Amino acid sequence: MVDDSKVMRDMIVACLRAIPGTSFVHASSGLEAIERLSLAPFDLMVLDLNMPDVGGVEVLEFVRGQDRLRSLPVLIVTTRGDDESRERVLAAGATGFLAKPFTPDAIIAEARAMLHGGAESVA
Amino acid sequence: MTAPPDLKDFLSSFLVEAEEHVALANEELLALESAQRKGEHHPRAIRSIFRSLHTLKGLSAMVGIEPIVSIAHRMETFLREFERSGAMVPLGATDTLLKGVQAIAQTIATLSRGEEPAAPPPELVRELDALDWGPGAQGRRAEASLELEPALREKLTDFELVQLAKGVAAGQRALLAEFFPSPEKSAQGLSINAVRERVAKVAEIVRVLPRSVPTSPEAPGGLSFALILLTSTNDALVAEAVGVGPDRLQKLHGELTHEDPTTEAALDTALPLDEEPEAQTMGLRRGIVRVDVNRLDEAMEGLSALIVTRFRLARSVAALAARGVNTRELSDVVADNARQLRDLRAAIVRVRMVPVADVLDRIPLLVRGLQRATNRRVRIELEGGGAELDKSVSERLFPVIVHLVRNAVDHAIESPDERNRRGKPEEGLLRITCGARSNTRLELTVSDDGRGIDRKAVARKAGRPVPEDDAGLLDLLCIPGLSTRDVATTTSGRGMGMEIVKRIVTDELGGELALRTEFGIGTTFTLRVPLTISIVDAFAFECAGQRFVVPVATVDEIIEVDGTQLVKVPAAEDGSVEVEVLLRRGSAIPLVKLARLFRMRAGTPAQKAIVVRRGGAPIAFAVDRMLGQQEVVIRPMNDALIRAPGVSGATDLGDGRPTLVLDLVALSTTFSLPARAQELRP
Amino acid sequence: MTLHVLFVVADVTYALPVENILQMESFMGATRVPGTRDYVIGVATVRGKVVPVIDLRLRFGLPAVPPTLDTRLIVTEVGGRVIALLVDSAREVVPLDPSQNQPAPEMVGERSAGLVRGMHAQGPRLLLLLDLPKVLSERAYDHDPIAFLDDETQHRPALPG
Repeated sequence: MVDDSKVMRDMIVACLRAIPGTSFVHASSGLEAIERLSLAPFDLMVLDLNMPDVGGVEVLEFVRGQDRLRSLPVLIVTTRGDDESRERVLAAGATGFLAKPFTPDAIIAEARAMLHGGAESVA
Repeated sequence: MTAPPDLKDFLSSFLVEAEEHVALANEELLALESAQRKGEHHPRAIRSIFRSLHTLKGLSAMVGIEPIVSIAHRMETFLREFERSGAMVPLGATDTLLKGVQAIAQTIATLSRGEEPAAPPPELVRELDALDWGPGAQGRRAEASLELEPALREKLTDFELVQLAKGVAAGQRALLAEFFPSPEKSAQGLSINAVRERVAKVAEIVRVLPRSVPTSPEAPGGLSFALILLTSTNDALVAEAVGVGPDRLQKLHGELTHEDPTTEAALDTALPLDEEPEAQTMGLRRGIVRVDVNRLDEAMEGLSALIVTRFRLARSVAALAARGVNTRELSDVVADNARQLRDLRAAIVRVRMVPVADVLDRIPLLVRGLQRATNRRVRIELEGGGAELDKSVSERLFPVIVHLVRNAVDHAIESPDERNRRGKPEEGLLRITCGARSNTRLELTVSDDGRGIDRKAVARKAGRPVPEDDAGLLDLLCIPGLSTRDVATTTSGRGMGMEIVKRIVTDELGGELALRTEFGIGTTFTLRVPLTISIVDAFAFECAGQRFVVPVATVDEIIEVDGTQLVKVPAAEDGSVEVEVLLRRGSAIPLVKLARLFRMRAGTPAQKAIVVRRGGAPIAFAVDRMLGQQEVVIRPMNDALIRAPGVSGATDLGDGRPTLVLDLVALSTTFSLPARAQELRP
Repeated sequence: MTLHVLFVVADVTYALPVENILQMESFMGATRVPGTRDYVIGVATVRGKVVPVIDLRLRFGLPAVPPTLDTRLIVTEVGGRVIALLVDSAREVVPLDPSQNQPAPEMVGERSAGLVRGMHAQGPRLLLLLDLPKVLSERAYDHDPIAFLDDETQHRPALPG
């Protein structure tokens, strides 16, 4: 769960707990996310684009550049709502895209789709 | 499966984070403004403000606060253009942006009070929409030389290259340090966040770049972080912060021509740009957790409940012992538990400590507003935000400082013309310093180089003789209702605040207030306050016509005293006190008249009794009547002359006289009960 | 020459150096603290601090009198301790030459013995120099400090062993 806002992370985790068997690891920066990804396996990454040091896009690119992580499902969460950034982000390798504000049901549905219903470790 | 959460539940955490972003945005806007005045570029500030607004927009959208979304959206749209073009923000725009942030702050305040926020004022919306992003001048660039791998160089933004160049030109060293994360390092707490914090103390971090590297024992994750730094500290310290040997640091020298900004990789023109981390501005990254004071109070309450439970446990153990069970081990555990509870309490008290900087940081913005409103020019010097004090002291101090600052800018500091005539620099000086006076007291001064206080005018207004010294002058100033202005000014009203300042500093905080003023030269107010104050929830009661308080945490229960349930047990020859025994719920509780114990003349018969536990056994103190429950500040009474058993301090219930705070448990250990009372059963 | 504050207790004038005096206040009452010596009539709030108040009459072994408009609290400081003294009146501040001090005479009332460190003749009147540390110390009383006397039964409870 990658977002520099603790409130945001807590909200999303609160939503996704509805999916049984999930466990969560928090990262408050892109660098921390990259670090965590390199040290343990995950089934899904929920990633905010707007972060101070390393932005979400750079994280995404880095992730897609690694063999090990190429197929990691990544759900991008961002504040913009227009289609332009949606396409850009999907082109950069995101698996899914949600614009804030989104409802709890919306994010649960997206996450479910990406997790294929298995037991999950969410970054 | 559980139902999805209601995101409104996150409102209070949201407010806490939102406040932080507002504070940061204000700080950066002020920095931006000051750079603009010097004709300098400040892209880092623009970036930071943009990001804060962007985050605020997203968060408030999630929690459903439309007014903030609307303002933040307009501001971030405006700033995005400037980020993208690298142009300078026009001076007037900063003013509008500050108003926008102020509107957001007001919405947050409204929400904090539990009220519905109003829509943003239409004039503000128009002003934000009208922000013109005409091309500003490009900032000045400096030439310098840097040697960097092309792969890394590509990733650095133009601003960062300039930053490196400037740093080297100024004599700093540009270094590259590599950090390889690993599970062992993580386990030791050496994560990239920790490394960044440590390095930020000895160097300026320009950028941190993640790189894939072949997996190796040194890099088990196949990952390395390249930290690009500017520093004047020696290599050994920097290397230590990163956790590597000094030989592993790479120096960056050589020629570098920075590129034309328009050819910079346009990967994320529609998305926020990256920013180099700066540990000092973002409180969110300091490893600090913001905690609602209410939560701390809840923790304290929980702790008090634990303490009461401990008493019950001790009683049970005592009961077992009375039956002949060997309770040695159990008693040891209970004693350990008591000690741990005391430590926990101390820890929670420590958590309440906040840096004075939290209060001082809000001053520049306040002064900026005051300058505008009063047409004065004021320079601020703030010193010593490193001290820490109890959050409640800090909260009480803030309005005091605000008032003194307002007085200084509004009344004391003269207009630029007048200052010129007096041979003073046009800009008035307002200086706020803060330092720990001893390890229990904090000293804060607010001084100005304005016109000083006119004793004769004050004396005249007060209808009293001219005071001989500054202390006397201070007393006059603090007379309720005194004002040396006949007309309310726009910012400080009628100057009635000094009385409140005094009340807060001396009565509420138990501190001291002093004044030094020289006519025509300036004025200094000195506050000395304790770093921590002991605040507890207490029951107030009356006994023999005198008021007392007792901390709630020490009280087991409060019961009615009914004459018919009492059995008198006279004092025995062994010197025990006379008690009555209260029969209640199948057990006998010894009842001691507090008035008698204190040798006071009891007026009305006691109607209530406060029950505490002494070594697990209950003992009741009869008092006249209960007066309610409230939070009190306990002021210590340490002098030997007034050290008395059962008295743990004094407080002020609002009448200006000391009211004693009693420790009934301690009091109960100062006398013994007749053996008969202990044996008595219904 | 050092400045001294002159005050009166039971028609006798005493002097204390100004450096030991924080301030003078009118007397607004004191909150009695049970279990303290009889001459400590309680605590009062002075400039935000909670300070003990000693009635000098009682300290000297004299009966207490109701306060008048002239009654004053002299707030003293010695060795970090701040303690207020209740006196009948305190009106003058005079410079005294220490070389003119003489040793203390015999005093009336046994309790004030040792509480005066000397005397000073100022014109026709005699000023007694108060020994402040002695006045503020607790050793004058040899009774156990914690005594709850039960008026009716005259019993003294056993102290914790």
